[in-house]
Amino acid sequence: MRLELNAEERELQAEVRDWLAANAPDPDEIPTHLDQRIPYLREWQARCYAQGYVGRSWPAEFGGGGRPPVEQIIVDQELAAAGAPEFPSVVGLDVLGPSLITFGNEEQKRAHIEKILSAEEIWCQGFSEPEAGSDLASLRTKAVEDGDNFVISGQKTWISWGQWASWCGVLCRTDESDKKHRGLSILIMDMSSPGVQVRPMTQITGHAEFAELFLDEVVVPKENLLGERGQGWLITLHTLGHERGTAALPRQVKMRTWLDRLLADASSRRVDGAALIDDEATQVKLAQAQIGVEVLRHHAYRTVGEFLNGGAVGEDSSTVKLLMAEAEQRLGETAIDVLGPTMFDGEDAHRKANEFWYETYLYSRAAGVYGGTQQIQRGIIADRILQLPVK
Amino acid sequence: MDLELTDEQKLLSDSVETLLERGGDAADAWDKIVEFGGLMVGPEGLGAVELCLIANRLGAHLASVPYLGSAAARYALLGTEDLPAGLAGLDEEPTAITPAFVEPGGGWTFAGVRTTLADGALSGEKAAVEHADAADALLVVADAGGGPALALVRRDADGLRLSAQESIDPGTPLARATLDGVAAPAEATLGGDAARAAFERLLSIGGLLAAAEANGAAEVLLAQAVEYAGTRRQFGRTIGSNQALRHILAEMYVRRTSSWSSILYSAAALDDGAADAATAAGVSKAYASRATREVAHGAMQVFGGIAFTEEHDAHRFLRRINLRGSQFGDAEHHERLLGRALAASRAGTATVA
Repeated sequence: MRLELNAEERELQAEVRDWLAANAPDPDEIPTHLDQRIPYLREWQARCYAQGYVGRSWPAEFGGGGRPPVEQIIVDQELAAAGAPEFPSVVGLDVLGPSLITFGNEEQKRAHIEKILSAEEIWCQGFSEPEAGSDLASLRTKAVEDGDNFVISGQKTWISWGQWASWCGVLCRTDESDKKHRGLSILIMDMSSPGVQVRPMTQITGHAEFAELFLDEVVVPKENLLGERGQGWLITLHTLGHERGTAALPRQVKMRTWLDRLLADASSRRVDGAALIDDEATQVKLAQAQIGVEVLRHHAYRTVGEFLNGGAVGEDSSTVKLLMAEAEQRLGETAIDVLGPTMFDGEDAHRKANEFWYETYLYSRAAGVYGGTQQIQRGIIADRILQLPVK
Repeated sequence: MDLELTDEQKLLSDSVETLLERGGDAADAWDKIVEFGGLMVGPEGLGAVELCLIANRLGAHLASVPYLGSAAARYALLGTEDLPAGLAGLDEEPTAITPAFVEPGGGWTFAGVRTTLADGALSGEKAAVEHADAADALLVVADAGGGPALALVRRDADGLRLSAQESIDPGTPLARATLDGVAAPAEATLGGDAARAAFERLLSIGGLLAAAEANGAAEVLLAQAVEYAGTRRQFGRTIGSNQALRHILAEMYVRRTSSWSSILYSAAALDDGAADAATAAGVSKAYASRATREVAHGAMQVFGGIAFTEEHDAHRFLRRINLRGSQFGDAEHHERLLGRALAASRAGTATVA
């Protein structure tokens, strides 16, 4: 049990903090429109990678830093604390990159890992389908064997960063005789292949961050199979669990910066002559939001500890996912509630912050859905941890 | 930064579990805990994490022992420089100590303390003094003229009168204590800044031990509810196959495990002397009070009517969870304090690592 960082870790923390103080972009200068934002974020990620702050614990032979996983967590927390923008390779970094490292072959790793880290390649994941959301294993996109190739046909949806991605990990059915998860494989698909059509979808935040993907007889060479044929479901579970477990620590730091921002706004804004924050009901709401974020941090320390000490994040990643969504949603709602009438007062001084709070609130509604809904997570806990009967 | 228990900590928890599994009456259990070294608090002995591990097992067995106060009092005094002789070396005697803190009409802050310490004499009235009959001494929180004093007073001291009061949990008997000019021995009284610091630590460790005990009780209720849901059949299927109940049970699991993580974090922060230790303890107490009660309510829902009978154990756990949830401040109390602190800080800084 260890809460404090050791000397080496503290040194890293100080180094990252200093570098970010000098180099982190001013949030007001980051373009909000995605067409300008994406190139900007690519450059930002490339700079961070050059600094050793991206893929720090990934294998050195493929372009990673080869350092202990705890160091990446320290770096990610500093990035979040500094209000640094997201990396455009987030799907590659959190989901498909780790899958490539665990299940990919030598050529695949050589071809892609370094480019994911430097943001030269943006990746997307082709998992969900219009008729296969929570019931992902029932998906219908199929890949038919044809000589040295697979030919993929079907439709995918909720493809984050899809319109900027150069590669997609497509979860598809390679064995028609098995209708559920055993017939699934993951194919690495070049997004510029003939037959790939991307249709951006505008989210409730107003940004078209995700897309639909139409695949019409897209030819993918057999060497682009990730892992073994029929291993698709295993890889999916492995990577989704990994994503949920380790994302929590930087996420809670980010939420803490939001809470601080909310405290500042609630202190400076007045209604009926009194600062919003002087109201006891407001203070209690803020405390409840704080508790959500803090308990997420405490719980993540426990699960990450197991992970850092050689265990898997594993089943308890569902608990982390539930707590993470709960904390984020409570915070988003609290902001709207606490700022109350000042969210509608038309004051120029409030406009920019209000846009941020609406977007934060609206975005938080996705947190209970993406990566497996809250109900799916409870189902996983009931099945795998509590081992409740199904009939 | 990790919260994995060390092998020694796991062994400690397992040993206490084994010791309690052997059964016996309350006095037996208490003797065994003391003999085992469960009160050996100190830098070389047990810290807040270890005390919470023990309290957790006591909660799982609904043990009726004066452990919380005895452990909390010792931990609160830890680290005080130049401790008076009567407060030093509490690993021996008096063994069982119970805090006398809240008062009729007062809450869980010093503002509610009207018992006075003047000219070496304590006068006032205390409520909810737990396990008073089993205690050798009371650690009385008094107002020494604007600041707290902590005085260790023998249960049989002249002028001290104890009378049983109601308690929601029969396993945790409570008493009123009337102090009528009770002599506070100088060698067993702490005042000034040292008392203020010890009082703050008493609030933190007391809340964490109460939460840890409630968490142990919640753990058992969850396990029993899961087992019941897996065997009880209605409509030709086990009730645990119904999504409505599966989600209640999953939610109970999340509350149980996350509140335990929070308690362990805050205990470790207290042991480390971390800057956020008192805040963290407040967060944990607020969260665990609600979380463990949610587990208890969920379990009773899963059990159905049978849990409403006196002979079923569920209400005993529910009672313990409620009592421990309110001691050293319930969720509302800590949320108010945390909210006030947030307002006072205006904008704090992000907590990193």
